[in-house]
Amino acid sequence: MAARHPAAGASTRSADSAAGIRMVGAGWKRIGFVAAAFWFLISIFPLYFVAVTAFKPPLAVSQGPTYIPFIDFQPTLQAFRDAVSGLRGDFIGPVVSSVLVSLTATALSVFLGTMAAYALVRFEFRVKLLAGIVFAVISIGGFTVLSEVYDWRVPHALATVMVAALAASILANRLPLPGPVMGNQDITFWFVSQRIFPPIIAAFALFLLYAEMGKAGFKMLDSYFGLVLAYTAFGLPFSVWLMRDFLETVPVEVEEAALVDDIGRFRIFFQIVLPMAKPGLVATSMIVLAFIWNEFLFALLLTSGKWQTLPILIAGQNSSRGDEWWAISVAALIAIVPMVIVAGILGRLMRSGLLAGSVK
Amino acid sequence: MQQADGQGGLIKHVFMAPAFLVVLIVTLFPLIYALVVSFQSMRLVPPLPPRFVGVDNYVDILSSARFWGSMYTTSTIVFISVAFQYVLGFALAIALHHNVPGARLYRVTFLLPMFLAPVCVALIARMIFHPYLGPVNDALGGMGFGYVPFLTEPNLAIATLIVIEVWQWTPFVTLLMLAGLQSLPEEVFEAAKVDDIPAWRRFRDITVPMLLPLSVAVIFIRLIEGFKVIDTVFVLTGGGPGTATETLTLFAYNEGFKKFNLGYTSALSFTFLILVIVVGTLYLAAAQRVIRRYA
Repeated sequence: MAARHPAAGASTRSADSAAGIRMVGAGWKRIGFVAAAFWFLISIFPLYFVAVTAFKPPLAVSQGPTYIPFIDFQPTLQAFRDAVSGLRGDFIGPVVSSVLVSLTATALSVFLGTMAAYALVRFEFRVKLLAGIVFAVISIGGFTVLSEVYDWRVPHALATVMVAALAASILANRLPLPGPVMGNQDITFWFVSQRIFPPIIAAFALFLLYAEMGKAGFKMLDSYFGLVLAYTAFGLPFSVWLMRDFLETVPVEVEEAALVDDIGRFRIFFQIVLPMAKPGLVATSMIVLAFIWNEFLFALLLTSGKWQTLPILIAGQNSSRGDEWWAISVAALIAIVPMVIVAGILGRLMRSGLLAGSVK
Repeated sequence: MQQADGQGGLIKHVFMAPAFLVVLIVTLFPLIYALVVSFQSMRLVPPLPPRFVGVDNYVDILSSARFWGSMYTTSTIVFISVAFQYVLGFALAIALHHNVPGARLYRVTFLLPMFLAPVCVALIARMIFHPYLGPVNDALGGMGFGYVPFLTEPNLAIATLIVIEVWQWTPFVTLLMLAGLQSLPEEVFEAAKVDDIPAWRRFRDITVPMLLPLSVAVIFIRLIEGFKVIDTVFVLTGGGPGTATETLTLFAYNEGFKKFNLGYTSALSFTFLILVIVVGTLYLAAAQRVIRRYA
């Protein structure tokens, strides 16, 4: 550690090089410390405020801000009791649906993403650009024709077009077509590029599609299945991208030995690869879980009652509660606490240097 | 480690197909549907049967003052907040990298904001910036200033949104820049130190150029993500006062779910997509030139 007293110039430098590890003068170090401490206060204050507000009696809110429990105000658990008893609207429902939906969707998306990432790391894919174009032309053109000219229902038209376009492009990929060939990098980019789209397009289009499917007899809007499906796709870009990086660090030799012993790919994947990639799986799950748990737009568009998630409930607090800050804070805390745990787990993983590898 | 194509055969597609199909079904196919709808006039209330109208929706959008207003609002929030996020986040990453006292504590605390739901953050911000009951105005009052109407005056509301974005997403920059700093080769810095090159110049001539590609990527992600913002605005101001803080996504949502003007909303989201692609491409092209010159 560098010298504590405000010494400058030569003495600082010698003290510093005596320490030998860090290479910055005490002046800089002091500035860094002040900046970090300042940001620490800025980061923590809003969280502290919401945490204490949840325990405030109404008077401690309406008579101007109060900060310190037992000195400024007498803390009470009334707001929590109200929330659990469901006295002021359903709290438990959104919490339950948030937990169910985000856990299922996270598990699915990390699992499917890991499978895809494994394929991307271990095998070589070659997709001809022209086959991709065939796919786009058939699907867009076919859908326009079917729905506009032949007046097919949207879900039927889309499903038909999808099967046809997929079959045609797989076939096209086998033909000796000219033009560039896309490899594993491009496929990874294809997954990640889903994040570049403004989500309102996907969310809104999905809403239209789900509504049409509802008319055709499949209830997708405000249903568990519809929401889980949407969130699985929402999480996939992260899972594929992160798991690809983690799986690249898993040594291939063990797998090769297993292959020689004629053990199937699936057993290798489940019994060798997944256990070895465990830290990566934990980190990826935490990140995907955080994104899904906090997601607002899809839930806003795709749910209307039964399956409303926590963020929707919280967004509604503002208009329904007005200045009942104690109730608002309880709702916010319920959403925040699991994420504090997630951040803690990730912080530990980060200290162990795991995430440093994912930046290249 | 890659294997020959023949060895993978069918099995590689079995591994790839589920993820591929889910993304295809949930993201790409609705997109095709929305693209077709964007060339139609289609309303739910009052119900109008879909009718092909060509590019009418797009012309309407480009001549709508509200669209350009929401674009201006979104760009202001995104560009200013990303600039602050980058500078602050990088500075904090450096502080953490050099193990300032308490660094272990900060690492987790600094991460926290980005894991909170933006709706929660906005709700907390509503309390903190409340004109009479909030701590910020309490502190300002204590210092002898008058009460500031943070959320009801257009420019202040935008400034508040920027503060929230900076608060929430600076940790993201810190996280990635810290990982970048830790991956830099120590030897270069040791050598520079032996040559008695001062800290400031080591930073300017070694750290910054070496982290330039990462910086470009980090800023790119923040720009793209920033343009999507809706939840914070939805809760904090609802787009108000008037439409002063209405962002692009919120505008699209309002058109779709308050007016049920589906063709228009679809066209709006595609205009938005084109915009993001244009901004992204311009940014990456500019960044490439900077990288080529300095790195």
